Amino acid sequence: MTSIRKSHLTLKALNESMIDLPAPKNISAWWNFGSLLSLCLALQILTGLFLAMHYTSDISTAFSSVVHICRDVNYGWLIRSIHANGASFFFICIYLHIGRGLYYGSYLNKEAWSAGVILLLLVMMTAFVGYVLPWGQMSFWGATVITNLLSAIPYVGENIVQWLWGGFSVDSATLTRFFAFHFLFPFGIIAMTLVHLLFLHEKGSSNPVGINSNADKIYFHPYFIYKDLIGFAWFALFLITLVLFIPNLLGDPENFTPANPLVTPPHIKPEWYFLFAYAILRSIPNKLGGVFALLASILILLIVPILHTSKWQNFAFRPLAQIFMGLLVVDVAILTWIGGMPVEPPFIIIGQIASFLYFFLFLVFFPLSGWLENKMLESCTKSSALRALVL
Amino acid sequence: MPQRFEIDYFVKMKFGDLARMRHIITFSLSPFEQKIFPNFFSEILPNTWRRFRGSFFRIAPPTALGYMVYSWGTNNHKESKRKKPEDYANDE
Repeated sequence: MTSIRKSHLTLKALNESMIDLPAPKNISAWWNFGSLLSLCLALQILTGLFLAMHYTSDISTAFSSVVHICRDVNYGWLIRSIHANGASFFFICIYLHIGRGLYYGSYLNKEAWSAGVILLLLVMMTAFVGYVLPWGQMSFWGATVITNLLSAIPYVGENIVQWLWGGFSVDSATLTRFFAFHFLFPFGIIAMTLVHLLFLHEKGSSNPVGINSNADKIYFHPYFIYKDLIGFAWFALFLITLVLFIPNLLGDPENFTPANPLVTPPHIKPEWYFLFAYAILRSIPNKLGGVFALLASILILLIVPILHTSKWQNFAFRPLAQIFMGLLVVDVAILTWIGGMPVEPPFIIIGQIASFLYFFLFLVFFPLSGWLENKMLESCTKSSALRALVL
Repeated sequence: MPQRFEIDYFVKMKFGDLARMRHIITFSLSPFEQKIFPNFFSEILPNTWRRFRGSFFRIAPPTALGYMVYSWGTNNHKESKRKKPEDYANDE
């Protein structure tokens, strides 16, 4: 008699993706970030829903509704803080998840990888419109700077921007629609997540060694259910530490001032998770060029599978690629630092070199290292075969 | 007679359908018959050092370079905001 979890039409889906799913025995902590991202999404939707019960999206009441949530709504301060810091943790998990994908060659599952890039874009868009909602100085001016970039599009740019704004500047019409988008996009994220998992479960997870693990798989439940729960516990620890002890660490003090279109803040910058892209945008002196570079900095991930030249799937046995991966991580850290700095020397030249290096790493260094390591493997194999023959 | 069919939602791979393995013999000890944390000084510590050495020289150089760039950039920017003492050398 087949158990109900295997025979019931809808319980089967749950069973085949989270219980009886064959998983490699040796997947490390780097494989926890997928489930952590699901946790982040659920947390953001839950806290966001409760915030939406008290938030008003008109420019005359938006800022004060957030103040009302923090001061008057029962545990409103906690829900708001979890939502704001949860967004940062969402991006921490995303970047670590992408880093795992790059290092371990997970991008070779091209469909899952492409769905992931679309997810990244959706999450970035959601976070961008979400940051506008408190209607602080940085909310308003950040929205103004970034939406104005679209005017660089030839011929139709101005029209597109005014259509997006719902007027001739970022104003009440913009805020109300951004609230609608911020509510709507997460459902697109959920749908895209299911597509992402669909493609992942077609081939199964890869593993740190990079070889086929079909001969040594274990059931997802209970092993990875418990491993993921441990990951959730660590995540909760870090999030709640930030929420309860340093809730404004990652925020900008300018957002404590209500939006004023007549007063421009001295240093307009986005939240930390967009700073690397902001640095790349500002490194090109031309507006349209900067917009292209900004888009390219994310969309370059889509062509990473095509640029894979190595015989190995992952970087575990590729010393050159490991060094370049370290360089990429450091380069993104430098770009993040530069994105938060004013556009003054020597930050300008550092930003330009770091932006160039970012693209050069993906387009030249990684493919070249794969080709070189293949050559090294060939020569090692030949010499050891020759030695075996002679001896 | 009505036709019954199986719907596979997500998984093309199922246990029993993954790989063909023959003549594989595994031996293992019961967890109750072995030490839980054996050979800390003779095996665990040297192995940890081996793993550290293996990755250190691939991670440390880019990190050091990045720190040097950050440090130089910050100091250079700070200096550029300072008045130059030579400009005021002949003041009373």
